[in-house]
Amino acid sequence: MKVENKKLTVGSLLGWFVLIAFAVIQIFPLVWLVDFSLASNNEMFTNGLLIIPKVFRFDNYVTAFTDGHFLQYFRNSLLINVLAVVIVLFISIITAFACTRMHWKLSGLVKTIILLGMMIPIHATLLPNYMIYDKLHLTDTIWALLIPYVAFSLPQGLFLTSSFMESIPKELEEAALIDGCGIYRIIAIIITPLMKSSMSTVAIMTFLNNWNEFMMASTYLSSPKWKTLPFSVLEFTGMYASNYSVQFAVMALTAAPMVVIYILLNKHITKGVAMGAVKG
Amino acid sequence: MKKALALALVSAMTLSLVGCGAKTTTTETATTDTAVEATTTENTDSTEAADASTGEPVTLQVFSNLPDRKTGQGLVEQTLFDDYMKENPNVTIEVETLDDEAYKTKFKAYAAGSQMPDLVSVWGQPGFIDEVMDAGLLTELNQDDYKDYGFIQGSLDGFSKDGKLYGLARNTDVMCFYYNQKMFDDNGWTVPTTYDELLALADKINAAGLIPVAMDGGDKWPLDIYVTDLMEKLDGSGVFAKTHDAIANADFSDPSFTKAVDILKDSAKRGLFQKGFETTDYGTAQNLFINAQSAMFYMGSWDMSMAANEDIPAEVRDNIRVFTMPSVEGGKATAANITAWNGGGYSVTESAAHKEEAIKLLNYMFRPEGWTKLAWENGVCMSAQDFSQFATGKETEPQKQFMEIVANATDLSRTPLGDMGSSEFKTVCEDKIQEAAIDKISTQEFYDAIAETCK
Amino acid sequence: MRKAYSNKAVIASLVAPGLIFFFFAILVPICLSVYYGFTDFSGLGAASFIGLDNYKFMLHDKDFWISLRNSGLLAIGFVCIQHPLAIIAAVIIDNMQGKAEGFFRCVYFLPNVISVAIIAYLWKFIYDPNFGLLNNIVKIFGGEGHINWLGSGTAIWSVLIVLIWHGFGWGMLIYYTGIKNIDPVLYEAAAIDGADKKKRFLLITLPLMKPVIQVNVTLAVISALKQMETVYLLTNGGPGNETQFMANHLYKQAFSAFKYGYGNSISVVFVIICILATQVLNMIFREKEA
Repeated sequence: MKVENKKLTVGSLLGWFVLIAFAVIQIFPLVWLVDFSLASNNEMFTNGLLIIPKVFRFDNYVTAFTDGHFLQYFRNSLLINVLAVVIVLFISIITAFACTRMHWKLSGLVKTIILLGMMIPIHATLLPNYMIYDKLHLTDTIWALLIPYVAFSLPQGLFLTSSFMESIPKELEEAALIDGCGIYRIIAIIITPLMKSSMSTVAIMTFLNNWNEFMMASTYLSSPKWKTLPFSVLEFTGMYASNYSVQFAVMALTAAPMVVIYILLNKHITKGVAMGAVKG
Repeated sequence: MKKALALALVSAMTLSLVGCGAKTTTTETATTDTAVEATTTENTDSTEAADASTGEPVTLQVFSNLPDRKTGQGLVEQTLFDDYMKENPNVTIEVETLDDEAYKTKFKAYAAGSQMPDLVSVWGQPGFIDEVMDAGLLTELNQDDYKDYGFIQGSLDGFSKDGKLYGLARNTDVMCFYYNQKMFDDNGWTVPTTYDELLALADKINAAGLIPVAMDGGDKWPLDIYVTDLMEKLDGSGVFAKTHDAIANADFSDPSFTKAVDILKDSAKRGLFQKGFETTDYGTAQNLFINAQSAMFYMGSWDMSMAANEDIPAEVRDNIRVFTMPSVEGGKATAANITAWNGGGYSVTESAAHKEEAIKLLNYMFRPEGWTKLAWENGVCMSAQDFSQFATGKETEPQKQFMEIVANATDLSRTPLGDMGSSEFKTVCEDKIQEAAIDKISTQEFYDAIAETCK
Repeated sequence: MRKAYSNKAVIASLVAPGLIFFFFAILVPICLSVYYGFTDFSGLGAASFIGLDNYKFMLHDKDFWISLRNSGLLAIGFVCIQHPLAIIAAVIIDNMQGKAEGFFRCVYFLPNVISVAIIAYLWKFIYDPNFGLLNNIVKIFGGEGHINWLGSGTAIWSVLIVLIWHGFGWGMLIYYTGIKNIDPVLYEAAAIDGADKKKRFLLITLPLMKPVIQVNVTLAVISALKQMETVYLLTNGGPGNETQFMANHLYKQAFSAFKYGYGNSISVVFVIICILATQVLNMIFREKEA
């Protein structure tokens, strides 16, 4: 097989071509974004694909950084998302255990009910949820985001964890049970370590889904206190409607943290998804 | 068993929530009377507000549709808030801002909740404010407070219901074509006085490889205003009453309705606007103009601050001039018939936590030397009050032109078509005028669709 | 041992948190939606009960059907364009060795980690008829380059392209993982039997990937139905309602048109459609297996 790969056949050339074409399509818009974020506003009106700005306007980024509440919103996003991931993981595992391992009549029903959440469009709950949070004085608090984020990530989390859990042999926990281990300890000590790979998949999916969310954030929050990173962009387009290059700068800046995190953790993220699928 | 229990739990929760919702509405209406009393007795002016500076700390929540706090109207608003806080050290003003569309959505969410921000931006047009006033969300203001504020006659009509005043108008908005004087001069173009001349000019501009008129068709409402603008030119007067009746009777068969939309369609087909105007948003349309890609820009007087905006290349900035919709052949109007209205403004909410303080702030903002003076001196916009006393002689060219236009006006169109009906009417009217402008539907289909929502 | 596994108190403590989240954040709001769906509530003031009027209105609401059609188109786009391309890319990448493999995987996935808010605005600029990137590319190939991609007629396709583009990397990664999980022994055996690459793909890769494909297709269809954020920022359903999607339509009705009751009746139907679609897909896949 190796020998075959080293030969430059028409097929592998074609393969390279396809791969590079896809890569250009996926990445070029982002290059374009960074390019024009360094230009001045009237340089937008060019016929070229990319330009070399007359002056590199790094001050676009300074404006974006200071006026976009960048640090504060980034901190909020990070905090809310990490919390959501932790809660989703915890609840997914205990619920999955109860539904796949334990013996009770309604186990299937409970699982199905929670999995139903996967089919429920999140936007259908926007205004009723607003009214509920308002009654409970939860609007403009971190809970207004955490609760729906967890609730809507849970079905997918449960789905992945429980299908993964089913493939774990029962012998281990049965041995532990005979040694007098309680259910909670079994989950904490035996099951959870075995779930690492599927947990990373759930964590990544939850994180990515909620990182992007802004409809709920813009409805439930009013002060900048808990606003998340997408608001840097959303607020900015109103503030600098007539200055495109600054808008480009804020977009590039807002995208940067995740791109950096992704490139650093690229292997782990891929592996997480990969291992989840191997075992599941 | 558990299932039944769960269901019972859910229905109980649901019921209690629905119950809560209903309860709040009733208490809200019940408190209206007392609230009115409170406002009348708390009728204070700014000197008293200053005395109150020793009072308890108060945090006022303001919800505004002016996200840009560094230039234009947002800056003026913020300056007034800052001044108020300086004069009243016990008061902190927290501002939440969103763009118009997002603002209206969030406003709706607030309205469904139990407590609204104290001071809110509103539009004194049926499409926005009628439902809000009907739901009792706004506090009645004491009309006597504003006797000496110099509000232009009729400017507060849109904010009133049954003789009661619920808000103050911020601006007098005039719709116009901004144009680039230098570009006109360089190419030997002249300002059109008739609509045919405008179309002929558009052909010339297109031939020169430039965009004649940058049109914000993506936001849709400028297209509705364009229709009203044309009707004003066709009819000369009475457009407001005519539109009002048409909506009341769900009957748009009057020929000027048809003609106005026909003209819009023809103009778009002939290339008066940029390619893809139906998807161009406000910022993009404006950008085409300020980057000298288009010769004209159809927008309201609130954008006169372009002439003072340092971000705009001086070559364009110093050459911005305005003209109003040229007269239409066969139309009854002269240049003195203009499309103008008092749209945006402020109200204090009924559920405000600090109602009296909010009214004080509102009154502070609208003293003649408040919003009116600041807005005019900064070349931001024309307030809904008499601003002539603040003329400095240092006005920008567009400012002077607008002053003249308003001074010479004999008839104002008032509220544009899209804002005359319910919010459902507005939504349909905007969607359909966009489709009509790109010739996707006929003029008749447009009016059929909007008439449907009036029934 | 059985006893420990059927301890009711323990079970209750394990499932309670999940159920509480479900009831509080999903079920209660949906019940409220069902209730308001039968009223003419405008979002302000009082609501009165109007029976099935909202649902009757929906039958004649052209925009509702357009948004349903668009959701369908998007689902088809995902299943028939995005996923086959993703599988092809995954197979080719799998054949690469060393650094190239990691590099392409990384590049393909990159748009996925960028917030939709940025993606939507970015594509708005790319599509701009007057100075957008895409028209500049058209100009290079000799076109006039003033195509209004988001204009009437082309808008829906432009929106689909953005959505397919954005999710491409995710699908690719899942399929790539699926392929990696196939036992290499199978390929080696097939190679010894003289099967060429194409045959190996059709006879080994595809059949063994079936479960992965099934899950992914189901998820893709649901996400197509649920689409909201990108459309909201990119076109907000325009021009007219050409690119309307269900979530955006109900949002617009509830919040812009002040028809909160009607918006809720749409969300009720919306939920039903989503559940139905999943059930139908499950049935189709099960039948095929049998």
